[in-house]
Amino acid sequence: MKEIDIPIETSAAKRRTNPLARVFDELVRFCRSRSMFMLHYCTGCGAIELPPAMTSRFDMERLGIQPMVTPRQADILLITGYVSIKTLKRVILTYEQMGSPKYVIGICSCTVNGGMYWQSYATAKQLDQYLPVDLYIAGCMPRPEAVLEGMRKLMDRIRSGEADGWEDYYRRYDWYLGNQQHLFGDDWQTPADVIGEASHYDLAGPGTEGEHTRLLQQCQKPLEPQQTFFQIGGSLEKKGESHE
Amino acid sequence: MSKTVTPWLDNLLQEIEGVEIRRKDSRRVRIDIAADSLPTLLELLRGRAGYVHLSAITCVDWIDESQFELVYQLWSYESQSLVSAHIRIAREPGVYVSVFDLYQPAAFFERDIHEMFGVYFEGSPDMSKFILTEWNGPPPMRKEFDAEAWVNETFEWKEYQPDWLKEITEQGGGIVKTPEEARQKKP
Repeated sequence: MKEIDIPIETSAAKRRTNPLARVFDELVRFCRSRSMFMLHYCTGCGAIELPPAMTSRFDMERLGIQPMVTPRQADILLITGYVSIKTLKRVILTYEQMGSPKYVIGICSCTVNGGMYWQSYATAKQLDQYLPVDLYIAGCMPRPEAVLEGMRKLMDRIRSGEADGWEDYYRRYDWYLGNQQHLFGDDWQTPADVIGEASHYDLAGPGTEGEHTRLLQQCQKPLEPQQTFFQIGGSLEKKGESHE
Repeated sequence: MSKTVTPWLDNLLQEIEGVEIRRKDSRRVRIDIAADSLPTLLELLRGRAGYVHLSAITCVDWIDESQFELVYQLWSYESQSLVSAHIRIAREPGVYVSVFDLYQPAAFFERDIHEMFGVYFEGSPDMSKFILTEWNGPPPMRKEFDAEAWVNETFEWKEYQPDWLKEITEQGGGIVKTPEEARQKKP
């Protein structure tokens, strides 16, 4: 594959000379808080409270919150209910695919401390050990009013700049990765290059790299291009095996 | 269509020795049978009595008696009745024969039991991991597996009354009833 040099301008290289920058920041934050696309990862029973919150009775859309179908277009990742260890892997993959800034909301008691599945071998207990949770909505299950109240709270926090969980994920990636490795084993890896992203956003701190990221680099296997097989008239043909 | 278990089922069951039959209901029969005779029983029930549907295979761990109980639930569409055949096998080594050649859905049930209890079924087509593909511990449904101890060893718990909650409590929110209060028995 041919390497192409694309110049990347990091925020460190850019000097902020515009005197109105802070005003724009305020405006950007206001706009962000007013149009949130929500990816609801319905892991547990809490998802049943979302249809009334989204449809005409409580009408989340008047606050600018809409469901979205893909993680790459979403701003909020909504975890509704218990996360089993298997699901947690998929949740982390989904989270790392989302574009920054991104926010995580944990709904129901199960995401806080395991909830009624506290002694189950199959569920992860505290979601915020593996992902930066911006807001918890406790309850078993929370009513749509509580969901809306939580959403309003998140909007306030985005406007004031307090909802910075995604920055925390880059700053303390080593800690999050360590917890993930504790659960999934040492050979756990995701396709996303979080350390690279952290330096791109100029958020790499002392906690970004550490012993766990070194372990990740040791165990990392290069991703292989996806192979698709399909059958035409008896002969097996291969498609998309390389890009050379 | 008759709603009762037909008398010819009783005649049929008399052909096998060592069988204890208990009629729980007009449409339910419980059969306790020696483990060696179970394939014969299933073959008779399937071939001559119309019990063509294997609803489930259930496993019970009787750790004090050092035995596993396997329950085969069979349903007949003709007589609309359920037969549950119970067998006991030794907990160690926990090996039994597969009934896949009689009932093909058994492959899934046996795979599941193998994963959850560690019982090995000889002749079952696939004994690989089924649901717990990312689980490396012991079979979790065995009685000697202490899930609570495993959880306490693996996970940390969130503090129940953190400082930020005290602020909310002062404002009138917070925890209404603590678990200690909820567990207290009423006099």
